[in-house]
Amino acid sequence: MELSLNAGDLDVESLVKEIRNEVAKKRQEGVYSDARIGRAERHNLMYMADSEELLRFYLNCLRDGVHVDINDYQIEDRRTGWQGKFLVKTKTIIWKLLKFYTFRMWHQQNQINGLMVTAIESSFQQYEKKIAKLEERLAKLEGGDSQ
Amino acid sequence: MKLAYITPRFLPGGVVGGAETLIRDLALTSVQVGHEVHLLTTCATDHFTWNNDREAGEETVDGINVHYFKVNEDRNIEVFLRIQDLIDKGREVSREDQQRWAENNVCSRDLSAYLKQNGKDFDAILMGPYLFGITLESARILPEKTWLIPCLHDEPFAKLDIVADMFRATKGSLFNSEPEKALAMRLYDLDESCGQIVGMAMEPFEADPTAFAAKHGLDRPYVLYCGRQEGGKNTPLLLDYMQSYIERRQGAVKLVLTGSGDVPVPESLRPHLLNLGFVSEQEKHEAMAGAVAFIHPSTNESFGIVLLEAWLAGTPAIVHARGEVLRWQCEHAGAGLWFRYYPEFEAMLDRLLEDKNLNQQLGQNGRKYVCSTFAREAIARRLFAVLEGKNL
Repeated sequence: MELSLNAGDLDVESLVKEIRNEVAKKRQEGVYSDARIGRAERHNLMYMADSEELLRFYLNCLRDGVHVDINDYQIEDRRTGWQGKFLVKTKTIIWKLLKFYTFRMWHQQNQINGLMVTAIESSFQQYEKKIAKLEERLAKLEGGDSQ
Repeated sequence: MKLAYITPRFLPGGVVGGAETLIRDLALTSVQVGHEVHLLTTCATDHFTWNNDREAGEETVDGINVHYFKVNEDRNIEVFLRIQDLIDKGREVSREDQQRWAENNVCSRDLSAYLKQNGKDFDAILMGPYLFGITLESARILPEKTWLIPCLHDEPFAKLDIVADMFRATKGSLFNSEPEKALAMRLYDLDESCGQIVGMAMEPFEADPTAFAAKHGLDRPYVLYCGRQEGGKNTPLLLDYMQSYIERRQGAVKLVLTGSGDVPVPESLRPHLLNLGFVSEQEKHEAMAGAVAFIHPSTNESFGIVLLEAWLAGTPAIVHARGEVLRWQCEHAGAGLWFRYYPEFEAMLDRLLEDKNLNQQLGQNGRKYVCSTFAREAIARRLFAVLEGKNL
């Protein structure tokens, strides 16, 4: 039928496969171990949930991005001259005050986040082990039936 | 043949939904190949209020005899919204409540009366989209002559008993894609003969690929999405992906959006985003022609008209792998790539930015595909093969 014809010579399915293989290699090299990717996947989770491979990747991203960053950072201002210096000084003081009053809260939040991810990962691994054992048992039982 | 098309709205020169545009276009195709066409629609112009904004009556537009009928003004919107909410949440809704939902949906007693009186004079009656009261009511009047143009989506409304009844009782459906037909077969337990794929005619256009960037002072390559900006279209996912891409690639590209909607934009993406709202067709085509890629992340489409437009502009597409229809279109056109998660999206966009030859080849494939498969003559051939019962 007319609609089932591929209009071009380029095989896009092979191209997608090729890109997927490249991505898989890069993933192993740690190219995508990045908290920003974990954040980007928040709206994609429902599509990843039924793929073990993608869910495992998401858990890795989550681990990278689980902690709220409370370290000091370089405070800058786009203005130059005395105005710029004054603003950098003011912002630095505000940041120090903020950090002083919120450090305890963020520290506790980071502990909770870390524990949550560990719990999710552990249950994921436990289920994986259980399923592997069940599959092994099933294979044995099926092997027994065929004999 | 004498044909009747039924659609909720018809606005000469105005903007209506994709399904309404499709039906208008099929009516126009039928006129152009010499058939007598009557289009039955409502007096409403606004798809939120469904008020009778214009007078009931008749007029001829581009050779189509358009009949306007009043929407029932006594519909109980409270009941409609209450049941709609339950359906939308996937709750069990009794057949009686489904019927009450349909009756209080956008219906027109006047249109039904006209169809009851004159329906026998038509050789075929074509109507859609599937979830409007006007379609559900009209399809019951002469089901043996009725062809649905359903624009079916995998959503809770598609699973209603009254919708299944309609698909089973009518003569058949005109689908836009194979995945849409497969969905109907799966949901309503229908066989292969339940309908054919027809699609919509696309008019080729020429657009200057440098005009849009010059007009808006864009100094970097850009990717584009045109359409409603909302959760249902997966726009938040596109914004998140582009935020990460731009951060990881130090602002290598800009994101351009056109169309209505209001989705929160991440702070760090704002300097890299150009959100234009509604633009003219000409400007949209120029934006498409100059884009590195057209990105359509929606996973629930019955047909990607905007994807075909991007291909006519010679621009390749990147779509979500879970969007079965859009992915099917990309596969068949050989003009787009589909990602499952961010790393694939990043790699695909990198590839299209770096490999100009590949980008061009995909774009050319797209244009060739649309010009051959969605030419008006091809649509007319498929449409009348279905209506006249010929094999495709």
